[in-house]
Amino acid sequence: MNVSIIGASTTKFGELWSVSPRTLAHEAMDGALKDAAMKPRDIQALFVGNMLSGMLGGQEHLGAFFAEELGFTHAAAFKVEGACASGGLAIHNAFNAIASGQYETVAVLGVEKMTDHKPEDVATALMGAGTAQERSSGCTFPGLYAILARIHMQEYGTTQEDLAAVAVKNHFHASLNPNAQFRSLLTIEQVLRSHAVADPLKLLDCSPISDGAAALILSRKKVNGKREKEIEIVASAVATDTLGLAQRESLTELAASQEAARRAYAIAGVGPRDIDIAEVHDCFTIAEILALEDIGFYRKGMAARAISRGEVTLGKAKKLVVNPSGGLKGCGHPIGATGVKQVVELVTQLRGVAGARQVKGARVGLAHNVGGSGATAVAHILKS
Amino acid sequence: MLSPVKLWRNQKNVGKMLGKIGKIISWTMVRVPPADFSDQAPYPVVLVELSGGERITAQLVDPPAGGQAGKEKLMGMKVITVVRRTIKPNNEGVIPYGIKVKPC
Repeated sequence: MNVSIIGASTTKFGELWSVSPRTLAHEAMDGALKDAAMKPRDIQALFVGNMLSGMLGGQEHLGAFFAEELGFTHAAAFKVEGACASGGLAIHNAFNAIASGQYETVAVLGVEKMTDHKPEDVATALMGAGTAQERSSGCTFPGLYAILARIHMQEYGTTQEDLAAVAVKNHFHASLNPNAQFRSLLTIEQVLRSHAVADPLKLLDCSPISDGAAALILSRKKVNGKREKEIEIVASAVATDTLGLAQRESLTELAASQEAARRAYAIAGVGPRDIDIAEVHDCFTIAEILALEDIGFYRKGMAARAISRGEVTLGKAKKLVVNPSGGLKGCGHPIGATGVKQVVELVTQLRGVAGARQVKGARVGLAHNVGGSGATAVAHILKS
Repeated sequence: MLSPVKLWRNQKNVGKMLGKIGKIISWTMVRVPPADFSDQAPYPVVLVELSGGERITAQLVDPPAGGQAGKEKLMGMKVITVVRRTIKPNNEGVIPYGIKVKPC
């Protein structure tokens, strides 16, 4: 059964101290419903992507919580959790709920409220995505990706400047996105001069702590004719790997990303060369480099230099543009909202209404969402 | 959250991991730590390949010349697993111990 996205919306991402999770959810979902020309009563099931509502906010039972808040009375409702891949996993579940034939129209909400809490408490909560051994070592998520970065640097000669170039590109894209957390341009020197968080990663190699929500309305594709603005999900795939970094077979790649992408390409019948735009999981600058290699856009060890040369930058790229929204680095990273926002960005681009950051002629888009240090990966391919 | 029962159950496994030799294959210096580790930062966290092939993530204690100065020598350094207190005890008064590594 073909599944389409008929409504998509995102709130502004950022440090939104005056806004509650309820307000964020309403803003995103009201936008998506309006976009789809639907009413709350049309929604049969709700899939909420969120990681930290229990650990940080003390609120669980998010399915019922948001179904009530959004007026989806008696709708089936679920919280889907997979660390930073929670949003992508929620979309995967929503997709399958329609593909199974049980539902016709469902909603996805990705939401996270992080800035109400102290950074060290957020760091502790995020380590819930790792192993007991990683927690007991005092490591953090920047620390785990720093360990991956150092290995990549040693194996392929990736430099601190190559890492910085990812942040510079994504801030440039974010500067064109009115919903992005950071609208300011960066220079390589600024990234290199920012203080170390977990060597070799600097503050400006890291995505920020953010608040935000994003929403989608998914529906069974019309048999006769096409709805206006409809974008088809041609593949939705998930893969996992060991929870901890130390237990992985290889440390120069995220095998879950490779596997999720491979499955998605096979389902969609396309390959990396067919992709016009990709929203990839750049929680840290090294993560975008790993992603471009693992998804098959570049051979191992080739992505860093390509990004530095501007090969995937808006306005310079020959074809593929990576993270036109600004990515997690520039647009912000409210954990559960990120995977949903990536797909909202693809929808916006594929409809050709992305304004200043529009990738001209974009027809095929890929979203890549990672949980933890690579234990979960989700890939979606969309076509206009 | 520290649970005395959980500590009692898990610490029985600590002994099995002691005295193992390995080498550092990657490392970082954590400067923005999780809440319970605030009093220890900055500290090195290393990825170690033990002689049997198993890999572990652990805090490095007693680094040569301490912190920054020993930085360049960490890759490939030979280390041994030791038992150390991981974080300060909470109100329950149970002291959490775990595996760390030190140069050997």
